[in-house]
Amino acid sequence: MSAITSQPDALFSLTMAQAILPQLIIAFGIVLGLLLVAWRRTQQIIVCFTALVLVLALIANISLYGTSTTQVTQLLLVDANSSFALSLVLISALVALRMSYRFLKAHIEVHDEYYLLLLLVVFAAGILVTSDHFASLFLGFELLSISLVGLVGYQRESQYSVESGFKYLILSAAASSFMLLGMAFIYSVSGDMSFNANLSNAIYHQQGLGLFFQLGLLLLLSGIVFKLSLAPFHFWTPDVYQGAPTPVTLLMATVSKLAMFVVLVKCFVAQRYLLLENVQLFLISFAIISMLLGNVMALRQQNLKRLLAYSSVAHMGYLLIILIVTSEQSLAFSWQSILFYLAAYTLANLSIFMVIALLQQYSSDAPYQEDILLTDLQGLFWRAPSYGLLMILALLSLAGIPLTMGFIGKFYILSHATIAHAWWLIAILIFASAIALAYYLPIIFKILTAKANDPQHMPLKKQHLIEQALVYALVVISLFFGILPEFVNQFIHS
Amino acid sequence: MTLSVIMLALVLTGAIAWWAERHWQGSAKWLSLLGLTLLATVFAVFITSANHDFAQLQVLTRVMWIATFNIEYSIAIDQLSILLIALTWLLAIICVLISWREIKHKVGFYYFNLLLTVAGIIGVFIAVDLFLFFFFWEVMLLPMTAIIAIWGHENRRFAALKFFIFTQVSSLLMLVAIIGFAYFHLLQTGLLSFYYLDWRALPMPLAMSQYLMLGFFIAFAVKLPSVPVHTWLPDAHTQAPTAGSVLLAGVLLKTGAYGLIRFVIFLFPEASVQFAPVAATLAVVSILYGAKMAFAQQDFKRLIAYSSISHMGFVMLALFAFNSMAYQGAIVTMVAHGLSSAALFCLAGMIYQRIHSRSLIAMGGFWRSAPRMGGFTLAFACAAFGLPGLGNFIGEFLILVGVFQVQAEFAIVAALALVASAVYGMVLFQGSFQGPAKCEVIDLQRREVAICSALLLLLLLLGCYPTLLLKFSFGG
Repeated sequence: MSAITSQPDALFSLTMAQAILPQLIIAFGIVLGLLLVAWRRTQQIIVCFTALVLVLALIANISLYGTSTTQVTQLLLVDANSSFALSLVLISALVALRMSYRFLKAHIEVHDEYYLLLLLVVFAAGILVTSDHFASLFLGFELLSISLVGLVGYQRESQYSVESGFKYLILSAAASSFMLLGMAFIYSVSGDMSFNANLSNAIYHQQGLGLFFQLGLLLLLSGIVFKLSLAPFHFWTPDVYQGAPTPVTLLMATVSKLAMFVVLVKCFVAQRYLLLENVQLFLISFAIISMLLGNVMALRQQNLKRLLAYSSVAHMGYLLIILIVTSEQSLAFSWQSILFYLAAYTLANLSIFMVIALLQQYSSDAPYQEDILLTDLQGLFWRAPSYGLLMILALLSLAGIPLTMGFIGKFYILSHATIAHAWWLIAILIFASAIALAYYLPIIFKILTAKANDPQHMPLKKQHLIEQALVYALVVISLFFGILPEFVNQFIHS
Repeated sequence: MTLSVIMLALVLTGAIAWWAERHWQGSAKWLSLLGLTLLATVFAVFITSANHDFAQLQVLTRVMWIATFNIEYSIAIDQLSILLIALTWLLAIICVLISWREIKHKVGFYYFNLLLTVAGIIGVFIAVDLFLFFFFWEVMLLPMTAIIAIWGHENRRFAALKFFIFTQVSSLLMLVAIIGFAYFHLLQTGLLSFYYLDWRALPMPLAMSQYLMLGFFIAFAVKLPSVPVHTWLPDAHTQAPTAGSVLLAGVLLKTGAYGLIRFVIFLFPEASVQFAPVAATLAVVSILYGAKMAFAQQDFKRLIAYSSISHMGFVMLALFAFNSMAYQGAIVTMVAHGLSSAALFCLAGMIYQRIHSRSLIAMGGFWRSAPRMGGFTLAFACAAFGLPGLGNFIGEFLILVGVFQVQAEFAIVAALALVASAVYGMVLFQGSFQGPAKCEVIDLQRREVAICSALLLLLLLLGCYPTLLLKFSFGG
């Protein structure tokens, strides 16, 4: 500690290292993992190693709670919000890891590289949630894209893998180049790449420069929005969700969305872009189109993963409302709401994708079932009560019905919108939720009703103990936090 | 405290019944019956032993629940809620009895849902934190939807979906109004509050309260239901299993009326007065439209469902007359309609069990083979169209007299429905029990006679000695 006090201007101090300890652990883990692969290729060891790295990072991250906000060089800023987001990322990654292990075990080859890519995704998310500079934003963004491309196309024998891999590669490359151009435009006007650069008000209003600046902003926004799969940048979502292996879809639905949304809020709040009317207009139109289009498109889907892809479009639209109506005074409350909603959304998605992954493994006689259709869920509640219950809770949470965290999340959104008197957004939100019920509820009915003489009506194959425990844990967690949301809030506050 | 324990015990009993049914077939219904009777007794003892008259709201529990929003778990009761909870207990026990033979698959889960619904309904009647109220409002909805969707008739999924979406959308509007009110409270007093009594103490400009009241009104109007948001009701009532229909018609519709009284009228007195002409018009339209639609139906349950719209229209008309006599009438009608429509749905269920049809065309001449059933049907149909001596007559009479003093034209038009109700009542009875015998049916069994006679006795009691209810003021 004495070293820091004597050298306050040190480029890199011990507190800083402590603040980014989770990221450091993961980065170190990746390097060690590479060496491990070179040394011996066995699935067991690398899985245990990855799990160890993630757990260590999680512990390091949790121990950060309560420490004050730390600026780590110009690039990163660690605060309570980013720590909370990182915890969510790490927990999702742990679940994804377990599901990946099951999934890859079904194949004969040894897949060590898969786990490295998974760690890279987590690392990228770790950078994104703490980034405080366009450079780190771009770094994180690219790292996330590249490692996800590798994961999306990983399952070579699947009929979808090439299609979805390429779709994701090309589109996300396009998105990141747009974003880079946008950053360049912004830099050309402001001359500073840091999020908390003091932009003079003149920039917002100056005629020629203002236009350039706004164009840059639009390009930057389009890059981020692509990753969040907000309409009209959502076209890749259903295909990639469907084509990717389920654990990877899980990662995309939770880690990638979460990290991108957090960085979006960080960037836009710090730079006060929301003061610009045009940006507001764009965000509002994204939100409205996403809410309506996402839900309408989900109505007719038969494939569960495609349906969830469209519903994720709608959910990001809901969440955008908070960002749109936030103001300087309500910033802390906005952060809290966004993080709560993201937590609820992550938990629901974790649950659903986990059930999907387990069904792919266990539901039919074949060792692996590629597509899970809605009809595969028929009578799930009676065939495998814990899966059915988890699925129902997660769907209720997505639909925003009480007893679940999703309802509290929606309550947060409605509170923000009501305070800001955003009546039109509320009206559309309610209308969109009504459409959403029209596809969530039939799924729940399907899960609850079994056809008596259906060949599907047989118990699942024997499952592994850890998965059972995970399923039960998720059921308990969803119910507990749904009824007593105050416990989550405590984490966010600190 | 006692009430919270009762609600928790209901959920637990449901869970135990579900579990027990797996091991001992037929145990779920006994357990549910036992649990309900026991808890109802506990409730009765709790109320009678309390040394209040419950004319005003008695706050029983206030515990902090979600500190971020200053949301409390707070419950309170007064005469109105006690009456409605008593009705709920009675009908819940009848629901168990009526499902005795009807439910054949997933029996344990059925009783779990039934008891969960009852717990939710009781929660609705006692919650005085608006967030908590909303919470229970939705909790009672979920198991009810499951009951319709799993154990209902042929078109059950669609009916359940429609029921849920109508209620959910309207209640989201209410949620926005709740949030709006709470933040208005924050602006005025510097304290975010969802507590009912805080809200009542808060003066509010008329312009604002009009909008907020509308949010509440729509939610309750959907539940009541009132034209033009009634279309979920005929489907849900028709497709639900008998117990579902009984619970829906008997109690769930009353939560709408309860909400109108407790929240719309008491929280927004001025705005309600301003809104009264619109509400009364809607009510009169519901009364006439429901009656008209009822006698055009071929489906036994659908006919009763439309008659419910008509009767609940009377309740809404009375509430927006702001007249103490009409108000008393509304209370009596709520109880009487709860009993009579529940009884008619029970009979519909009994007939369905015998001939596997709800169509009036397939019925006819049952009197010859089942005179006891016929007698009860006649009695309850007469109750529905307001025969003096039965509860409904008292209610409707008081409402019409009360409304006549305030808005005579509405009362005159609404009175037309009394004629119409006699028509559909007779259509119902003649179509099923008179005319040439279409088939033989078995007469009522002992359990069924017990259900019907209990309901009939209560209706008679209410009709002959209405002071039983009228001596209380119910906060009016």
